[in-house]
Order: sequence, then structure tokens, then C-alpha cells
Amino acid sequence: MQPILTFNIIGMKNDNFEMRLTEMTKPKIPQLKHEDMLGVAIANAKDKSIVSLWWLSVPVFIILMLVMKSIYMPGTTLVSNMSEMEIRNRYSSIIFFLISPIVIIVFNALSIRKIHFLSGSPKLIYFLGAIWINILAISLSVIVLIIYSL
Amino acid sequence: MDETGLLDRIKQKPGHFSELFKLYYKQIFGYIFRRTGNFDDTADIAADTFMKAFRHIHNFKYTGISVKVWLYRIATNEINLYFRHKHKHNSIFELISTEDKNIFNDHIAEDKREIESELERHEQFLSVLKELKTLPVKYQEVIALKYFEGKDNKEIVEILKINEGTLKSLISRGLEKLRKKCNQF
Repeated sequence: MQPILTFNIIGMKNDNFEMRLTEMTKPKIPQLKHEDMLGVAIANAKDKSIVSLWWLSVPVFIILMLVMKSIYMPGTTLVSNMSEMEIRNRYSSIIFFLISPIVIIVFNALSIRKIHFLSGSPKLIYFLGAIWINILAISLSVIVLIIYSL
Repeated sequence: MDETGLLDRIKQKPGHFSELFKLYYKQIFGYIFRRTGNFDDTADIAADTFMKAFRHIHNFKYTGISVKVWLYRIATNEINLYFRHKHKHNSIFELISTEDKNIFNDHIAEDKREIESELERHEQFLSVLKELKTLPVKYQEVIALKYFEGKDNKEIVEILKINEGTLKSLISRGLEKLRKKCNQF
């Protein structure tokens, strides 16, 4: 056990005090057991998309429902079912099929720009690897928009 | 160690960041721990430091400072945030996949036990750190880097981005204040 520093520093000049600080032993860090796992986790971390793919689940789910309806109810089509839904509930169809895909497209495009900016000019293959989820979200949003505007 | 080569490899494949992590994690962890004296905060601040470094490593360009100095700079900023706002850091546990969490938990618990018992063996250091933490951050930074980490003036000037005259005056005033604080015991 080391003596505590507080003892005889009364009247001590800065030079002596400096020497005591330099000579004082400090806690050393042993080999850290959590180091390897944390290193791998950080090196594998990726910037997450601003808008996740899950946000698309609502309009995609509704479109799938309407597709099922057009399959199992003869005489109806996807487009006619969508028109019917729009007549019944104008605002929700606009929110699901128009506003949400546009928001998703804008945010994912911004997210891609952010990743590109952070990474400098990464090689195309790595860049595409990092943004595939954004591209998928944008593509699905465009499909939803096209189906809605038919 | 050729830092330029390693940086090029990281730019081509971010997974190589783990090599840089392995090189400096223990050192940076030690610096943060000797500033905070708290294992949990140190683990969070160190993880945040390396996350930040990972996100910005592609923007790192050689302008006369090494990656090590750059990491010390990030760590110093993160520690200052911690002291200024008692800023809530992201838990490092969020980075670990669910299936590995139990093993990681065990490793963290073992490291905590070992490091806390090491700290208890240094009462002198603990009492100085306790007083140092009551000083303004600008004095804490220079005193910790010089006397706890053993950095020379050139390195401290690079880490803190201050000139040597300012550093000398901060050290002198900081020492005086710390000496007075220690005198009060």
C-alpha cells in the first residue's frame, strides 16, 4: 500500500509537487477481455438508414391486401380496389401511397448522400454494399408510387 | 507500424479498422480511465471515441499529426462532454449482437473487477484525481496528459491544439491550483 500523497506537501513548491506527480504510480490497464469483441462490433458497424425498411411495410401490406382481394374477388382489379379505397378514405390512401413513399425516397436519398460524404469516395463495391438497404427502400417506394398513380 | 498503409486498407475495406482498434484501444481506455476513475463511464466513452473515429476515419488526412494523436483528441473531447454535461453515452452493449451479449457481459464484468482492484491499490493517485476533477477542465487535460500519461509538451500541444506558451502557463497554473487543493487535506 502506498502512502497517501496528502502528507508532507504543505509548503511544497511546484517543482517538488511536479516531481511527486511524475513519480507517483498510476493504475495500469491489464489486457482487456472485452476488447476483441468490441473491436469487431465497431468495425462491422454501419450507418443505419434514416428511414428503415419497416416504414414501408404499411403501404406494401395494404397493396398486398388489395392484390389478394383482386385475386379472390372476381371482377375487381388492383387499380379498381385502390380507387375504391380512395373514395372511402381519401386521406389515408394519400398518406399511405403518396406521402410516405415520397418521404422514404427523400430521407433515403439524403442518407445515401450522408454515407457518401462520410466515406469520402469509397470504392463502388463497398459503397453499394453499405447502401443496398437504402436502394431497396427507394425502389419499393417508387413501385408503390407507380401502382398508386396507375 | 505504417499508419498510412493501415489507413489505406481501412479506406478500401472498413473491416480493417479492427487492426487500428487493437493498436490503440488499451492505451486510449487507460487515458480515459485515469481521467474519470470510473470503469463504466470509461467503457462507454472509449467505445464512443472509437465509434466516432470509425465514422470519420475516411476524412482523416495526414496534416502532420498521427492517428494516435487524433484518437487522443477525440477521446479528450468525449471526456470533456462527459464532464460538462454528464452526457449520456451510448451503451457499448448496443453494439454487440444479442447472441454474444452474455459472453461480452462476462468479459466486461471480469475487466471491471480487475481494473477496480488495480485502482484501489493506488490511493495516492485516487486522492490526486479526486482533487484534479474539481479543477476546470483546461487544467485537468494538461495535468492528466503530462503527469498521468507521461506525454511530452510537443504531443500535448498537438492533442489539445494549443501553442506551447499556453500549455506551459496552463501547466504552471494548474499545478499551483492542484498543489493548493492537496494542501487542504
